[in-house]
Amino acid sequence: MEMINYYYKNINQGGSNMNEDKLFQQISEAVVEMEDELVEELCNKSLELSIPADKTINKGLIAGMDKVGRLYEEEEYFLPEVLTCSDTLNIGLDILKPHIETESTDSPIKVVIGVIEGDTHDIGKNLVKIMTESAGIEVHDLGRDVPLKNFVNTAEEIGANFICMSTLMTTTMMGMKTVIDMLKENNIRNKYKVMIGGGPISQRFADEIGADAYSADAYGAVEKIKLMMAS
Amino acid sequence: MNEKQRLLGLLKGDKTDRSPVICPGGMMNAAVTELLEDIDSNHNTDLDAMVYTAIKIREVIGFENYGVPFCMTCESEPFGVVLSDGDKKCEPRIVEYNSSSLEEIMEKFDSNVLLGTRSQNVIQAIERLKNDEVPVIGNVTGPISTATSIVDPLKLFKMLRKEPDISYKFIEYINDYLISYAKKMVIAGADIIAISDPTATGEILGKKNFDKFAMPMYKVFLKAINNMNTPVIIHICGDVKNIIESLNLLDVQAISFDSIVNMRYAKSKIKTNLMGNVNTLLLQNGSTDKIVSITRNAMDSGVDIVSPACGLGMSTPIGNLRAMTDCVKGSING
Repeated sequence: MEMINYYYKNINQGGSNMNEDKLFQQISEAVVEMEDELVEELCNKSLELSIPADKTINKGLIAGMDKVGRLYEEEEYFLPEVLTCSDTLNIGLDILKPHIETESTDSPIKVVIGVIEGDTHDIGKNLVKIMTESAGIEVHDLGRDVPLKNFVNTAEEIGANFICMSTLMTTTMMGMKTVIDMLKENNIRNKYKVMIGGGPISQRFADEIGADAYSADAYGAVEKIKLMMAS
Repeated sequence: MNEKQRLLGLLKGDKTDRSPVICPGGMMNAAVTELLEDIDSNHNTDLDAMVYTAIKIREVIGFENYGVPFCMTCESEPFGVVLSDGDKKCEPRIVEYNSSSLEEIMEKFDSNVLLGTRSQNVIQAIERLKNDEVPVIGNVTGPISTATSIVDPLKLFKMLRKEPDISYKFIEYINDYLISYAKKMVIAGADIIAISDPTATGEILGKKNFDKFAMPMYKVFLKAINNMNTPVIIHICGDVKNIIESLNLLDVQAISFDSIVNMRYAKSKIKTNLMGNVNTLLLQNGSTDKIVSITRNAMDSGVDIVSPACGLGMSTPIGNLRAMTDCVKGSING
């Protein structure tokens, strides 16, 4: 009987008897390994097995992207790998998202993100966006060279929790302070957590201009968002 | 020993009376807003203004070279991108990438004959700047940075993983074009070629991708230019701890590092001349006392050529840059 069970399990790898956790783990690994077709196949399989889509997203896809974030932090993965993994992740999300049945009762964390006016360097910002989205956070990307008032206006419009600003250039750093000052002038500073990052930015600079947080990298940024929302 | 003898001598491996202090141009240029005040035309696009600016940088700030151009967009100009011209406050930049496929770009543009109007100006500027006293540096944007100026960097980064062969071919095609451009600079009278490849950092690419896509290009580039009896300086942005061993394999006459790199450590790892690495943030915002002390520290750490650590912010005050050049020149008397 043992043998039969063993055999049965093996011929059914990916079949209807495969337990969910195993499938989630395979999806997670496929994201880490950038295997587009496999993610597609496994996500479709999860639907055939009537596994709730949001569960597969969280425990499979996002868990995988989380691992990618850790590999990035450990300098095993670099930008080309992270970007490719995020494409693989999106293939899975495109399949699963339409099947999310129950509206989540928790309202999602909302983030407004952009590169300060005068600066077009957006690789870092895009990485933060990808990692943040992968963590299930709603990201409103204003792009690069963003007029400062747009950070405030968009945050107000969508009811954001976070305003995240990035710049690589020393010349545009002070734009971050201007945004914070605008929030103060409008008496809405306390409505938002402000997080900043980019080449010349430091914790000291964040303290100086009164930002709530600074992150040196994309993975850290997501961790800080989660941490601040929890507190 | 004049400035040209000193810098070229040092790059050849000769002993010199002191370290040169330079700002090569290109990505690392000193055409700051304050310096450009009296110039009517755009120094990025107008030949006379370009030559005048190069000379003024040496005369007013004291850097011991002429270098053109003052941006990183000349190389990508002919490949179907949209550029902003830049002005006295903002450097030229790519506004729109070419969205065609890499194959289409390689088919459409013949990289052997191609030179944009800006590059033609650069060549002519070098011809006019050529002289016996002051070294003239021709600046070239590196292959990875040029490739990611022509197509969206995110697109190419992903392709490095997904389609490595076509990516390699494209970067190689760009590299061949850059070599022919640099050769034209040498023929026009450039004494030295400086390459900056800020997108090809170990931090962005990682060691594996750097070794696979950047290193082979540099080797071919260096060989071609060295064969013309012309020394080359390579500038690498960001931290280099994961690629420093690779860099040591290059036959290059000087390597320039960012301020994050500890130059004593670099000195212990790199056999060629070291250039750098006065912090550009400090040069923009710091006190002259601090700038002098950091400049001295760079020299004490074994830097052979003193220069800014990376691209200068355009609002950097002339006085701060002058403190750095004066400090190096003053060190003749200890």
